[in-house]
Amino acid sequence: MHWLSKKRNLFVMIVPSFVIYTVYIIASVCIAVYYSFTKYTGIGKAAWNGIENYVRVFHDKFFWISLKNTGIVLILSLLTLTIFGFLLANVLRVKRRGNDLCKALIFSPSIISPIIVGIIWIYILDPEVGILNQILYKLGKEGWMQMWIGGTVLSPYMYAVIFLWRQLGYLSTIFLAGLNMIPEEIYEAAEIDGANAFQKMVYVTVPMARNTFNIVILLIITGVFKIFEFVTQLTAGGPNHLSETVVTYSYTTTFSNGEYGYGMALATVVFIITLILSEIYNLIMRDKEEEQ
Amino acid sequence: MTNSAGSKLGRRISGIVLAIFTLIWMFPLVWMFFMSFKTNSEIYAAPLSLPQHLNLDNFARALETLNIGRMYVNTLIVAVLSVGLGFLVTFLSSYALCRMVFRNKKLQRGLLRFFQLGLMISPFILLFPIYRITVQGNLYNSIWSLVLPYIATQVSFNTLLMYNFFKGLPAEIEEAALIDGCNLPQLLGRLILPMTKPVVVTVIVFNVLYVWNEYPIASVLLRDESMYTLSMGASMFKGAYSVDNAGIIAASVLIIVPELIFYGFLQRYIVDGMVAGAVKG
Repeated sequence: MHWLSKKRNLFVMIVPSFVIYTVYIIASVCIAVYYSFTKYTGIGKAAWNGIENYVRVFHDKFFWISLKNTGIVLILSLLTLTIFGFLLANVLRVKRRGNDLCKALIFSPSIISPIIVGIIWIYILDPEVGILNQILYKLGKEGWMQMWIGGTVLSPYMYAVIFLWRQLGYLSTIFLAGLNMIPEEIYEAAEIDGANAFQKMVYVTVPMARNTFNIVILLIITGVFKIFEFVTQLTAGGPNHLSETVVTYSYTTTFSNGEYGYGMALATVVFIITLILSEIYNLIMRDKEEEQ
Repeated sequence: MTNSAGSKLGRRISGIVLAIFTLIWMFPLVWMFFMSFKTNSEIYAAPLSLPQHLNLDNFARALETLNIGRMYVNTLIVAVLSVGLGFLVTFLSSYALCRMVFRNKKLQRGLLRFFQLGLMISPFILLFPIYRITVQGNLYNSIWSLVLPYIATQVSFNTLLMYNFFKGLPAEIEEAALIDGCNLPQLLGRLILPMTKPVVVTVIVFNVLYVWNEYPIASVLLRDESMYTLSMGASMFKGAYSVDNAGIIAASVLIIVPELIFYGFLQRYIVDGMVAGAVKG
């Protein structure tokens, strides 16, 4: 290998990736952080304004609302996706005709364009054109009809429903990959000890799949902080920013209001929150592992 | 796996539950498909019934009002360029980082770490900087304005997958080829690339899907309607049709169906890519 590893060869092979990646990803993060300390409206030069933007984030009512909405989606998703994803993986794991087809179908929502996911759910949830309210009306349950989206309360809960619909197949596939690594002998041993199906799941599968749970939970955390497209389609964050998620709020502030400096401060804060959340989770898990 | 699944009866029940559950999960997609054949008044009066007849007007309108054909061509050009070039550059850099001999070992390891940092970076913090870079670099409104960031966002994922794959290849084959007097392009093109085929397909299929679905970056870089990609165009459906719901639904179906067919044929690679990215990322 030595005589092919001339400096010139190495240079030619690494530089294209390096340049394009450094400019668009690494430098971009630096540029974003730089603008977060400035006031910039797109005209003239960006004016340095210290930590002003960060102070403003802290006092921004709409930021806290968007954070609360994102928190609601996060908590609901952690509950529903880990539980249902795990249960579904256990059902899919059984050797049975038609299982592969079911798995492929349940997975399919995660591959279609997230903008289209938004459009589809408009026709289900929208109070005017959506079928959910129409069905309730036809069933004579007018009292149950709601402003599912576009109202002041329910939007984030509906985001969680859509996120569940989109991610379940994907996350249960991750679970399935983890479950298939558990050696069959352990189940056989448990069976000899007289464990029933439920006991086997609780005492064998769950503890053996701990790493997989960790991966899934991290994916949910990072995934929820990327929820964007279907929110812009369903509510555009309205009315009056009440149903924004953190990402849509920073996007609207930056690109619709043209407050580039403040928008970058929001984006930076969101980025740091995501890193901290996943890092805290990582640390807790590592501690627990060491205890055992 | 039979033992861990419980009794025969339990298996039958769980099979039925799974089938019903799958049907419920598929309802939004199937229902969209049926709606796309209905007229606007049918959709309004009887949203749940099957279409009265196979009415293709909606699709004709979708193709007319929004130039979906044009959007397909644009998406295809962007996808071919960014996935093709992205694969080429990351194939070379991953191979160099994994197999070539660096004078400085620390530099080699450092570069690998550096290339994988991107897995932690959320795309949303990059949007405005990418827009600035595009304007400053005089790329605004050209196809490269999209292609270059799309290459950049593939680097970390491709490096992760290909580096791990190269690490598993036996070194003896390469050594034998070198003794036979093989040069670098021959080694990479005739020997390594064919051996890497499974991971190549995964990387390419996964990235094509990514470009196809990508919206946030496109939304800040595309102004000219004639350059819209599919996701970008789809985000404008609501405005473009205003009250024509049947048109919006038909246009959406024209985007989903080919995507589902693509998924149907290449399912294994798509799933592999998504799982691999998650487990190590």
